[in-house]
Amino acid sequence: MPRVRTLIIGVPLCLTAVTALALWTVSRISSDKKNEMYIGSIGEPTTLNPLQAADSAAGAVTGVIFNGLLKYNADLVIEGDLAESWTMRQRSTFFFANPEEAVQAAANMEAQLVDRAALHLGKYSVDGDKLVLELTLPGVADSQKLAAMFGVAPLAAKTLGITAPKPLGDALEDFAAENPAARVVRVWTNGNLGEIVFLGDPDTVRAGLQKFLVARVGDKGLVLDDIVAPPFLAEPEVDFRLRDGVRWHDGAPFTSRDVRFTYNALMDDRVASPRKSDYELVLSLATPDERTVRVVYRRPFSPALESWMMSIMPAHLLEDLAPDQWPMKFNRAPVGTGPFKFAEWKTNQFVRVVRNDDYFRGSPHLGGIVFRVLPDPLTLRLAFETRQIDFWGVDPWAVGSFRQDDRFTLFSAPSNSYNYIGWNLRKPMFQDLRVRQALAHAVNIGQMIRYVLYGYGVQSTGIFTPEMWFFNPDIRPLAYDPQKARTLLAEAGWKPGPDGILEKDGQRFSFTLITNNGNAIRSDIATLVQADLKAIGIEVNVEMYEWAVFIKNFVNKGEFDAVVLGWALGQGFDQFQIWHSSQTGPEQLNMVAYQNPEADRLLQAIREEFDRETIIELCGELQQLIYDDQPYMFLFVPEGTSVMWKNAFRVYRPGPGGKWIDEPVTMTKAGWSHYLEWFYRPEYPPQQEN
Amino acid sequence: MAAFIIRRLLVSAVLLFFISIISFFIITLTPGSPYPWGELNPKVSEEVKRVFREKFHLDRPLHEQYAFIMRDLFTGNLRSIKDERPVLEKIAERLPATLLLNIGALALSLSFGLMLGIYGARHAGRPPDVITSVIAFIFIALPGFWVSYLVAIALVDWAAVPILGTHTIGVAFTNGAQVFLDRWWHVMMPASILAIGGIAVQSRFVRASMIETLREDYIRTARAKGLDENAVFYRHALRNSIRPLITGIGMLLPALISGAVIIENIFAYPGMGRLGYEAVLERDYPTLVALNFVTAALVLVGNLIADMLYAVVDPRVRLE
Amino acid sequence: MITTAPAPIQTAPATPGGRAWRRFRRNKVGVAALVMVVILAIVALVFFVFDRLGIPFPMDPDATNLERKLLPPNPVNWLGTDNLGRDVLSRLLNGAYISLTVGFVAVFVSLFIGVVVGAVAGYFGKWVDNLIMRAVDALMCFPTFFLILTAVALLGPSIFNIIFVIGLVSWTGTARLVRAEFLTLRESSYVQAARALGQRGWKIIFRHILPNAAAPILVTAVLGVPEAILAEAGLSFLGFGVQPPQATWGNIIADGKTYILDAWWLILFPGLAILLAALSFYLTGDALRQAVETRSERQ
Repeated sequence: MPRVRTLIIGVPLCLTAVTALALWTVSRISSDKKNEMYIGSIGEPTTLNPLQAADSAAGAVTGVIFNGLLKYNADLVIEGDLAESWTMRQRSTFFFANPEEAVQAAANMEAQLVDRAALHLGKYSVDGDKLVLELTLPGVADSQKLAAMFGVAPLAAKTLGITAPKPLGDALEDFAAENPAARVVRVWTNGNLGEIVFLGDPDTVRAGLQKFLVARVGDKGLVLDDIVAPPFLAEPEVDFRLRDGVRWHDGAPFTSRDVRFTYNALMDDRVASPRKSDYELVLSLATPDERTVRVVYRRPFSPALESWMMSIMPAHLLEDLAPDQWPMKFNRAPVGTGPFKFAEWKTNQFVRVVRNDDYFRGSPHLGGIVFRVLPDPLTLRLAFETRQIDFWGVDPWAVGSFRQDDRFTLFSAPSNSYNYIGWNLRKPMFQDLRVRQALAHAVNIGQMIRYVLYGYGVQSTGIFTPEMWFFNPDIRPLAYDPQKARTLLAEAGWKPGPDGILEKDGQRFSFTLITNNGNAIRSDIATLVQADLKAIGIEVNVEMYEWAVFIKNFVNKGEFDAVVLGWALGQGFDQFQIWHSSQTGPEQLNMVAYQNPEADRLLQAIREEFDRETIIELCGELQQLIYDDQPYMFLFVPEGTSVMWKNAFRVYRPGPGGKWIDEPVTMTKAGWSHYLEWFYRPEYPPQQEN
Repeated sequence: MAAFIIRRLLVSAVLLFFISIISFFIITLTPGSPYPWGELNPKVSEEVKRVFREKFHLDRPLHEQYAFIMRDLFTGNLRSIKDERPVLEKIAERLPATLLLNIGALALSLSFGLMLGIYGARHAGRPPDVITSVIAFIFIALPGFWVSYLVAIALVDWAAVPILGTHTIGVAFTNGAQVFLDRWWHVMMPASILAIGGIAVQSRFVRASMIETLREDYIRTARAKGLDENAVFYRHALRNSIRPLITGIGMLLPALISGAVIIENIFAYPGMGRLGYEAVLERDYPTLVALNFVTAALVLVGNLIADMLYAVVDPRVRLE
Repeated sequence: MITTAPAPIQTAPATPGGRAWRRFRRNKVGVAALVMVVILAIVALVFFVFDRLGIPFPMDPDATNLERKLLPPNPVNWLGTDNLGRDVLSRLLNGAYISLTVGFVAVFVSLFIGVVVGAVAGYFGKWVDNLIMRAVDALMCFPTFFLILTAVALLGPSIFNIIFVIGLVSWTGTARLVRAEFLTLRESSYVQAARALGQRGWKIIFRHILPNAAAPILVTAVLGVPEAILAEAGLSFLGFGVQPPQATWGNIIADGKTYILDAWWLILFPGLAILLAALSFYLTGDALRQAVETRSERQ
């Protein structure tokens, strides 16, 4: 039966032969590049709707499809994007017992005013028992200085925040109408959240409101919070003037209606936007005409301006579509205003965007960008080495060999992240400052940087990183000094025990250091700290858990001794959630339970300050204070390095004064990819526009 | 035959029900929360988390959650927690790639397994058989992830061949043959690593059953009648040895789908194994339950087909 | 359901153990593999004892030495060092007992469950059998790897849990085998005789049927060990296995995979160790199977 025999030998041979032919073909065709850029990322975007996405993979894609009202320029200074200009001011309203006092206060202030400009005071007016100041810069400090000139004490306004088990509706308005004695001056409601500002007696109003709300919405889950706020109404306002002639990728014009829609969607519970908290302080958003947007805030909140870098969404496509329909439609095929248009998304493979010829800054040179999903770190490198992707974030140990290889161009910059060991301050062991200082002196962080980061990083000196404009450069890092560590521990009462481990009151100095698995740098840190602390008589048990388990069972519950983690920070200076004493509950971010009234004051002040110099000053103070307290062992700020095949791309971009600049890809403060929309492949030179 | 198929389908339905319960409770009991944004994201307020939990019924007791998931699964409305897309759509998207990979691996396992097994049986007990046996066991003993890495590095380092995804990205293909061969390469490469174990297992099955069959009385009779040895071997003995090969298909399927998890990750191949692995890590309960459901259904169908083929090639087997 | 003609039952030889052993010794590959298994077991035991006594031999597997990190194989570190300067050979030897323990204990767990379930199903038959075998079918349809992943995530990645979970998902094969043996042995004359003498179910199972099914069970057991070793390696590789800094073959590879293009020795040697161990067990098991298969005696 020779046919069967031929088949049995022939089929495997054929399979092998075709595969060999395929290998040969593939190895030959891969050199001709299209006019596209290929970028790899480990994660896949969850959704391409910036309202709902919070992952960096999605951010990379939506960043070239959408625009915000504002953006950072190459030096990380805020500039207009969809907004061509914007102005900020503030209205501060003071309440007096009667109209006469208000008039009196205004007169006293006028009499003492020396330098109106220094206090940013514009017009002011008396309206019944109210004195309204118009300030050219938002913030609390100027108003307070002006109030000191009144001579008549204004009534103190108190603020209560409400979280209700169901939507509040008109409950707060009704309460104000039914209780004139409460003297409610402003209410705000959004879904289950509400806020009420009043002049009446705090205890009476609180009790009354509680009773009123229990009757209206039930008492299960009803929470009334005293909110730290100025004792007057300080309402900052931002006016955006929108760019003219911008069109969405489908041709529809971009107008203020899109901005209003974006805000409404962010606040809509059905959208469940992870960015909602940035906009919760907005009192109202108005669009007087097609090119003007006016946002009024409930109180000064300086990170607010940055929040308008949020991508603006097309109202004409989404307004009539229920949010639960978005995931199947818009979120997989977004329409934006940016330099690139969405083309296709092959799940688990890539997202492709193509050039938007009608981009308002001019058509990009690249035909498109392909964002590839490569789930394994090694895979990314293999893809880079076979030129399947054009850029790769180099691992620290490989930087050296890539630097020496002249086939590549490297871009390095300190990252906005730092690694730390958090001491759980709920544990008595770590409550003594001397102990925390001793721990910091006992670990050789310099060596850690040398061997874990291969020298590509600097020692961290606190909660901000050196590239931030509000970083405090004057803080000296604690030095590696095991002898000093021993002395400090001895002062704190820890003496060597029979087994060489320190003891105090019969308790051994032994704790568990936990971290998540799958992160080589964190597990190396844990291993090195274990060794260094063993040398001064402290026993460390290292345990690693899967990320979800690690967060849920230990970090969120605050049930751990010490934890190795890192913070990847943005450009923002507001770290209220990480350090304020009100943020120590389960699932909150102050997981080490750091509590310091002075830090609380600074955190609050930073949020309310709009003046750049004052922010630098306050942040510097805060950074020093927390570094001195050592709630974390601040380890290092790693340097990030990306590598590109030499001459794979150049940049041809509009420069100042309308001149076009042709330059190699270079590092800016905002990263090598800041001018991504103006990259071109030298094989496909752009049409010169000069 | 029809009665057999109907009964099997009924039994399968019950099995699927059990599978859905097991997979739901295991994954929901596992610590971790399925929030689609990072756990330590300072911008996400408690309020947003609450809204989110309500949206996906995560605030309900477990048995109610299970009921919601099953209701949604059967009405086709089950949404992934991660991106809120219908789960069935997500699975359907990956099904072609997964089938292609598994069919490739099956084809390799069966054809090479058959060849090696017959070769071993032909030389039973002699050095060629011992060598193929040892090679087969080496294949079984190879850790798949280890081989994948070695192969991937060898191909990239020495040959600089693209190996990731389903096709080479960013090149302008000039003709259909190139496109075909490019796809072929990107399927066959992970498939052949996936098939390493299968080839070995199949060759052992075939070899054992060939040797057994060759000892049967009717084969001896055939030989005694002076039949050509090749004819005895390929006409009579082989026919009986197809049987274990088919059993093998049924056993291979779940193993292939499991084994694909690591390989799909390394080769960035967009299959169901990766979907499942990511769903486990992200605690995407609906996706995981539906995925287990669909894979189990695939396996059951695979087994059913294997049983039917079994009856076709082996007259002694009746489906009743 | 599938029905096939029942295979003819062989009568057991006078001293089945002795005969099987004689046949086994004739199989050179099998003997070599068995020797390998014994050596591995001794190595694992010796280094386990060293570890417990705190004798760092050849070096302390957990001692970091950053001055000597990522060194290729050299006279001091025969198999090189890892990214923290730990000696790969020491870690490999130290990891042996974990891999082997996982292999043996997981098989024990799976055998125990498999034998009990299979025996119950096979002996009692009828609806008990039907119910149990449907459950077995359900488990076999499951992509076991997801099951293991989720179960380990649920229980936490301790060595005990990993053994338990691997054992828990791998008993179905044994159960089917034992059931099949029981179905045939149940009808055999000596079991009928025992039943006629009034012995009860469990006694018959353990006294009469189980010893006669011992040979195939043993073979399954030996072939199960490498499966468990490979499963543990795969889990460790994905970060779900025994947690570092404890060295196991799987997590030496997992730790080393990041450096794969710069330090080949970090994944080559532990991979070879896994391969060697698994191969030894497979070849031993296969030789054992041939030796106890009475059918081969007919020629």
